[in-house]
Amino acid sequence: MAATVLIVEDQMLIAWHLSDLVEGAGHRVLAIARDPAEAMEAAAKQRPDFALMDVRLHGGTSGLEAARMLYECWGVRSIYLSANLDTATRAETEQWQPLGFVGKPFLPAEVLAAVERAAKSVS
Amino acid sequence: MPDTPETILNVNDNEASRYATSRILHRAGFKVLEAGTGGEALQIVREDLPPLVIMDINLPDISGVEVCRRLKADPATASTMVLQMSATNIAVTDRVNSLAAGADSFLVEPVEPEELEAVSRALLRLYRSEAALRRALAERELLLKEVNHRVKNSLQLVLSMLSLQGHRFKEPETRELFTKAISRVTAIAAIHERLYQDADPLTVEMHTYLTGLCAELVRASGMEENAQASLQIEVEEVRLPTEHGVAVALVVNELVMNALKHAQPANGPASINVRLMRHGAGQVRLSVADNGEAPEQSANEVAGLGTQLIRMLARQLNGTVSIERAAGTYAVHVTFPLQSAVSWRPPY
Repeated sequence: MAATVLIVEDQMLIAWHLSDLVEGAGHRVLAIARDPAEAMEAAAKQRPDFALMDVRLHGGTSGLEAARMLYECWGVRSIYLSANLDTATRAETEQWQPLGFVGKPFLPAEVLAAVERAAKSVS
Repeated sequence: MPDTPETILNVNDNEASRYATSRILHRAGFKVLEAGTGGEALQIVREDLPPLVIMDINLPDISGVEVCRRLKADPATASTMVLQMSATNIAVTDRVNSLAAGADSFLVEPVEPEELEAVSRALLRLYRSEAALRRALAERELLLKEVNHRVKNSLQLVLSMLSLQGHRFKEPETRELFTKAISRVTAIAAIHERLYQDADPLTVEMHTYLTGLCAELVRASGMEENAQASLQIEVEEVRLPTEHGVAVALVVNELVMNALKHAQPANGPASINVRLMRHGAGQVRLSVADNGEAPEQSANEVAGLGTQLIRMLARQLNGTVSIERAAGTYAVHVTFPLQSAVSWRPPY
């Protein structure tokens, strides 16, 4: 089942790599957003099935902010990607019904497994 | 010495004694808060966080020893210094109990003003140096977290860069070379995702590490989609020192890559089996077996590197490599001593 995905990642190389992976698996990447504002703008234009969210944007934790806004405004849920997925971060995302967690450096197989699970559960 | 006067909470239900103590402390230049009961004392400490509490052991509601125990048990107030005071007739056991409950010092009344001031200053000094240590530790932890994040992020960039580059080649040979390089770097990088997030950062739990890597190998080979190969993993819950973990992962990577390439039995899909098990006394055995033909000794440069890597890594593990050939199976075993890692204990 093909899903539409919003990638929220401030490091363009990694975003590009993720985009290649997601599209290679037959899904469609609607946009690459680098911060909460861009994520909201992209989602306003076209609603994604879910987001692939880097927790730490620009050195902060604004990925969580972006995830919250996407969820509260449109019920868009996220798969969380981070190099520091500690228990506190995971607990904080609970309220926005996380679709999965993938640690960085990621294994493409793990990203795709999470994407497939997400595509099933939001369809 | 701090510029602003330090605050001391003086707890005593006897008004005359409390007044006398407060007077001494005021004269010594401290800011003094007062409480007449244990309950009041607990509340003031939680709200104002004074660095030092001077507390009579006999209070009308909760005993001074109990107040002290509660203050020390609560992380929010545990750093508060507690000086217990009592009248002369108190038994030694009560003094001992009081110190055992976490009091930092004990004075028996009547106390000379100089002594009360000197002991207070000593405890405040201790409080300040403990606070400085706590701050330094918190800064270090933050720095470590930051460095750790940087390392993982840089490895991610390396992998993303290689992958983006690899996809742009049309020639199958160049693509394969890239795929191999990416796979090797992935085996090394993936350990960082496993480390630091569990209790023991000096060793790696092999089950999740190898399971993840093997899933990625199958994906990268593209063999899963057309059901040309299946991979089974049997990894005992074993922790290896980090360098050994990486070496084992790299060997698995080479052997599985070889198997995915060569294990093509005449009929049916290739079946590859990865096992990591304890083997005899203090030994661990890694086995990668498949149901295909034994690979020919290839003169190909790439296969050559793989073979050399396996030999070097087995040596690094102080292990031996053995090859088992039987009808319809080909297995490579690497047997090595299970080195007990320097075990990690948090320093507190």
